[in-house]
Amino acid sequence: MNEAKARDEPLLAIEAIRKRFGARTVLDLAGLSLHAGGSYALTGDNGAGKTTLLRVIAGLETAEVERARYRGRDVDLLGYPDWLRREVIYVHQHPYLFSTNIRDNISYGLKVRGTARRERQRLVDEAIRWARVEHLLDSPVRKLSAGEKQRVALARARVLQPRLFLLDEPTANLDRESRQQTISLIRDLCDVDGAVLIACHDPEIIQLPGMLRLHLHGGRIEHRWSPLSPRRQQGDSAASDEAGPGLAQGLHWQPVAND
Amino acid sequence: MDLLETTRQAFVLLFSGDPDLWAIIFVSIKVSLTAMLIATPWAIAIGYLLAVSSFRGRTLLIQLNQGLLASPTVVIGLVLYLLLSRQGVFGSLHLLFTRQAMVIGQVIIALPVLVAFTLSAVQSADPRVHETTLSLGASRVKTALTTLSEVRFGVMAAVFSAFGRVVSEIGCSLMVGGNIAGFTRNIPTAIALETSKGEFAEGVALGFVLLALALVVNFSLAFLQGEGGLR
Repeated sequence: MNEAKARDEPLLAIEAIRKRFGARTVLDLAGLSLHAGGSYALTGDNGAGKTTLLRVIAGLETAEVERARYRGRDVDLLGYPDWLRREVIYVHQHPYLFSTNIRDNISYGLKVRGTARRERQRLVDEAIRWARVEHLLDSPVRKLSAGEKQRVALARARVLQPRLFLLDEPTANLDRESRQQTISLIRDLCDVDGAVLIACHDPEIIQLPGMLRLHLHGGRIEHRWSPLSPRRQQGDSAASDEAGPGLAQGLHWQPVAND
Repeated sequence: MDLLETTRQAFVLLFSGDPDLWAIIFVSIKVSLTAMLIATPWAIAIGYLLAVSSFRGRTLLIQLNQGLLASPTVVIGLVLYLLLSRQGVFGSLHLLFTRQAMVIGQVIIALPVLVAFTLSAVQSADPRVHETTLSLGASRVKTALTTLSEVRFGVMAAVFSAFGRVVSEIGCSLMVGGNIAGFTRNIPTAIALETSKGEFAEGVALGFVLLALALVVNFSLAFLQGEGGLR
């Protein structure tokens, strides 16, 4: 595939996903596509299937998946290939930090990828500064607050430079200050070339500039809402094209598609 | 028998560096540590795999392990004796009444304890550990090592409990070791022998050593778990 064609392809396109627990269908989606550079807020009531969708895409849960394509290449989400693991990263609602220290947590993924020590140190230092956790480096991981853990987990994910971030309710149960700090990091993540899919209820995340809203109801994407202001509206006119056909064209909060 | 006088004599024996007494202590520690070194890596791997895999017969294996956990050491010694005796399947190896036979017996005794504790520790691990390592791109081996490291206090409890069981067991050591002085006589078999001969001082001295070993092991575990308990 040539470069131009690769750019036109969605980062991830799935024709259909179905997930059942016994007789109950928790997810029944058709035509999900996420584009590189797109930021998506996945909304819906509790039990609407937001976390399940994220976990299926992350390869942490199985589902019936009809034709998934990643950058134009057919992928098997059930037998999740190792190369895809390096492209996609999932951050739990309550992230788990290994009981080592912050630095080791952030460098974990780099270590398993075999990144050279010097480069690893540089990347970890940068990630620590980015997440603003320098002052916590000597604190035992168990003493960190929920917001601090979330920031370390975001740094641990970002340092790997994945193409697709899957964040599960990153600001749920955080106090006001922690929430603001986390949202500020999420805003940064949304400015990178990868795609960000965030399951959330947080209006402030939903209304971040350029954020596209996918609303799940009864296991289906009921509405796709376009943003008030397209992504990188100031200074990047191509941003709305990147966000994908039919999703980023409108400038008002209105349903643009019913699946 | 004057208990106080016997205890005094026991301490005299211990601190006078009685060579026979210390040879017995040496055999005990060497045999049990060797058995633990052999059994621990395998048992931890088996315990981990039993905890994280699903395959036909898994439940049966777990139940079998639970059964072995409660099996009397003298029965394990008896079976091993039959296997290692001249007419036994492994008779040609001439292992009966050797330290190696005692090590084999203690490996068999330690395995189910180590497997059961490791299995339980890994099963109680936070499921996010596995998912986080997976999502960060860790291989299966790295995931296993990280998970075991996260539940290291449970795994340590497995090691200490198994050591406590093998260092104090008498049935198997007596059956396959034969209680040969200076060779296969360990603390529990010596205590039984000396007591039956009326040599209480040596029995009590060895009893103190065994108790001290058990206490050191348990204090170490309590200390380490205390550190872990702060998590």
